[in-house]
Amino acid sequence: MLSRKGIFSSKYSLYWLMAPLFIYLAVFYLYPLIYSVYMGFFEWNMGDPTMTFVGLSNYVAAFRDSQFTGSFINTATFVVAAVGIELTLGLALALLLNRETWPMRLLRTVVLLPTLLTPLVVALTWKALLNPDFGALTYYIRAVGLDIGRGVFVERSLAMAGIVLIDVWQWTSLITIILLAGLKGMPIEPYEAAYVDGASRWQAFRFITIPLLRPTILIALVVRSLDALKIFDSVFAITGGGPGTATTTTNFHIFKVGIQHLRVGYASALSNIFLAVSVGIGLLIIRNVFLSSRRKGGAV
Amino acid sequence: MLRHKQRIGMGLILVLILGLGLTGLADKPYEGQVLHLASMADQFTDHLVVLGRQFEEVTGARVEVDVLGYVELREKVVLDYTTDTKQYDLATVDIVWTGEFAEKGWTVDLKPWINRDYIELNVPDILPVTWAQGEWAGKQVAFPMAGYVNSLIYRTDLFADADEQAAFKAEYGYDLNVPRTLDELVDVATFFTRPDEGQYGLVANGARGPAVAQDWMEYMRGFGGRIVDREGNVYVDSPKAVAALELFVQIFDEWAPPGAPNYWWDDRETSYRTGMSVMQSSWSIARAGYENPDISLVVGKTGMAITPTAAGDTPAFGFGGWGIGINADIDPEKQEIAWEFIKWIASEEIQKDWMLNDGAPIRLSTLLDPELNEAMPWLPTMLTMFMHGDGDYRPRVPEYNQIQDILGLRVNQAITHELTAEEALTLAAQEIRALYSD
Repeated sequence: MLSRKGIFSSKYSLYWLMAPLFIYLAVFYLYPLIYSVYMGFFEWNMGDPTMTFVGLSNYVAAFRDSQFTGSFINTATFVVAAVGIELTLGLALALLLNRETWPMRLLRTVVLLPTLLTPLVVALTWKALLNPDFGALTYYIRAVGLDIGRGVFVERSLAMAGIVLIDVWQWTSLITIILLAGLKGMPIEPYEAAYVDGASRWQAFRFITIPLLRPTILIALVVRSLDALKIFDSVFAITGGGPGTATTTTNFHIFKVGIQHLRVGYASALSNIFLAVSVGIGLLIIRNVFLSSRRKGGAV
Repeated sequence: MLRHKQRIGMGLILVLILGLGLTGLADKPYEGQVLHLASMADQFTDHLVVLGRQFEEVTGARVEVDVLGYVELREKVVLDYTTDTKQYDLATVDIVWTGEFAEKGWTVDLKPWINRDYIELNVPDILPVTWAQGEWAGKQVAFPMAGYVNSLIYRTDLFADADEQAAFKAEYGYDLNVPRTLDELVDVATFFTRPDEGQYGLVANGARGPAVAQDWMEYMRGFGGRIVDREGNVYVDSPKAVAALELFVQIFDEWAPPGAPNYWWDDRETSYRTGMSVMQSSWSIARAGYENPDISLVVGKTGMAITPTAAGDTPAFGFGGWGIGINADIDPEKQEIAWEFIKWIASEEIQKDWMLNDGAPIRLSTLLDPELNEAMPWLPTMLTMFMHGDGDYRPRVPEYNQIQDILGLRVNQAITHELTAEEALTLAAQEIRALYSD
C-alpha cells in the first residue's frame, strides 16, 4: 500500500473532495461579486472603454435616484404581498394534498405544472388574457359585471396587483410542495396523544402542525422571498415598469441602467446595495423565526 | 498495382472532378460562408428571411436571420458590439440609432464602398431622405433598407358614409373630411368615439418605453415642436411640446380604447385592423397589412393622409425606418460578403420583389413602378411623403436612446396622470440637459 504524506494524506481528503465545489463557487460567485464591488467605484459606460474612478459617487447617486429608491418600495410591496399569499394558499393546498387518495396524488402533479413553465411565457400569456381590449379573461370579468376600469395593467392602483397575481399563480405550487414534504415528515404520535386528550382538529393544527412545520415554513419563506426579490420577467414583458413607475422593481431598474443604458459602473453600485439589503432581509427572517422558535421551546 | 493506362485514366477522372468542383465554386463564390443577421421583427422581416435563402442559392453564403423585438434587438447588437463577441455580421439599424452607432464606431462606414460601387448601386435612384438611415457627421454607418413614412391612417368607409357626414355637419357645422389641422383632428376623433359601440376615434401607443415616446414624437412634430438639436440645446419643454403632450394625453382620456395606455405598436395596429379604432398615426410599413384578409377586418377601407398639423403650419412629413449595418469588429473578408448581401437586397429587382411581400421602399423606381402602383394605389401618396420627408424630427443624436427612455417614462406618467403635461416635460428637459452636462 502506498503511503501518502503531507497534504495528500487522508487527513486532508475531505478538502480535496470539496475542492471542485470551492473552485466553482470562487469562479462563478466570489469573483463576480468582488468584481462587481470593484466596478461600483468607477463610472464606466460600456460604449466607451474608459473607466473613471469616482469613489463612492455611484453609491451617493443611488440614494438620490428617485427611481431606485422608489423601486425598493415597489419590490417590498411585491414580496410581502406575493409571498404572503403564496404561503397562505400553499399551506392550505399542502394540507389538502396531504391525504393519500388517488385524486390527491393526481392533483399533486397538476398543481406542479405552473412551476414548470418559463416565467416569460407565463407573463406574455397572462398579458394577452388580461388585455383590456382583446383579452378573453377581461371579457368574462366584465360580462359578470365587475369593473376593472381601464384594465389591470393600465390602472396604477391595479398594475402591481396584476404582477402579484401572476406570481401567485405560478409559484404557489412550489411552496405547496415544500410544505407537503414537511407534512409528510411529521410524526403522528403527537396527534394521537392530542386526540386522546380531546383536542379538536383546529387545536391540533394550531398547537402541533404549525410549530412542527415551522422549520419547513422558514425554508419556504426564505427561498421564495429571495426569489421574489429578483422579480423581473413579468415586469419586463407586461408593463415595462409602468404605468409610470408603478411596477418598477429594483432588479428591473438595475437592468435598465446596466443593459439598456450600458452604465455598468453605476449598475454595479445599485446591485451591490440591493445585494446587501437582500442579505440583510434574509438574515432578519432567519434570525426572527429562529429566536421565536427558541423562545417557544420548539425545534428549529 | 495499377497499370500505366489505368493510372492515366484515374488521373484524368480526378482532374475532371476537380475542374467541375472549381467551376461550381466560381458560380458560388461564398460557398461555406455564413452571415448572421439580427433583424427587427417587423412586417418586412418574413421576406428578409426568404431573401437570405435566395442569396445563398446565388452566392453560396448562408444568411441566418435572428428575428428580435425592438428592445431585444438593440440590447443584443449593442452588447455584441461592446463586448466584441462578433455574434452578428449584419444588423438592422433604426434611423434614430445612427448618431450613437457612428460615434461609437460600432458599424462600418460604408461611404468608400458606396462610392466604389456607385454605378452598380444606381445611387441616384435611392431617395435622398433614405440616407438619413445611417448618415451621421459625414459617415454612412448603415445602408438604407426599409423606408417608412408616417401618415394618418383612417377608415375611408366611415368618412364616406352619408349618414356620418350628415351627422358631423349637423354637430360641427362643417363637412366631414380627413382632418388636416389638429383642431379638425380633435373634432373628428370626438365624433367617431362611441365606446358603447366598441368604436374609438383615435388610437396611439401608451406603453412606457420606446412605444409611447415615439408615438408622442409624431404629435410633437405636428405641433412644430422639437426635442434637442445636435449641439445639445434642449427644446422639449417648449410651449409647443407641452401643447403636443396635452393633446396626446387627451387621446387616451377621450378617444382611445381603454387598454391603449399599455399599447405597443402591434396592439395599436390590432386595434385598427379589427375595426375598433377609426384613425391612427402610423408608419407606412403597416399599410399593405390592412389589405390582407388573414389579419385585417378592414380590407379595402383604409386611406392614408398627411398627418395633421397646427392651423397655419406647413405640413411635416415624418420619415423613419431601418438601415442595415455591418459589424465593424468582423474580419474584412466577412465585411465584403456582408456588403455583397446589402447590395443584393438594395438592387432594383429585389426591392420590387420585396415591396410585393410587405417590404418598404428606398428607391424612386420602386415607387414609380407601374405594376406596384396598380397593386398598391397608395404609392403616389407615399412618394410625396418621401420627397418631403424629414428624417431628423426625432433627434438621431448619440444620446437618443437615453432621451427616448426619459421621454418613455415621463410621457407615460403624463397619460396615466401621475404628472401633468408641463411637469412631465419639465422633468424630461432637466434630465436630458443633465445628459449633455455630464
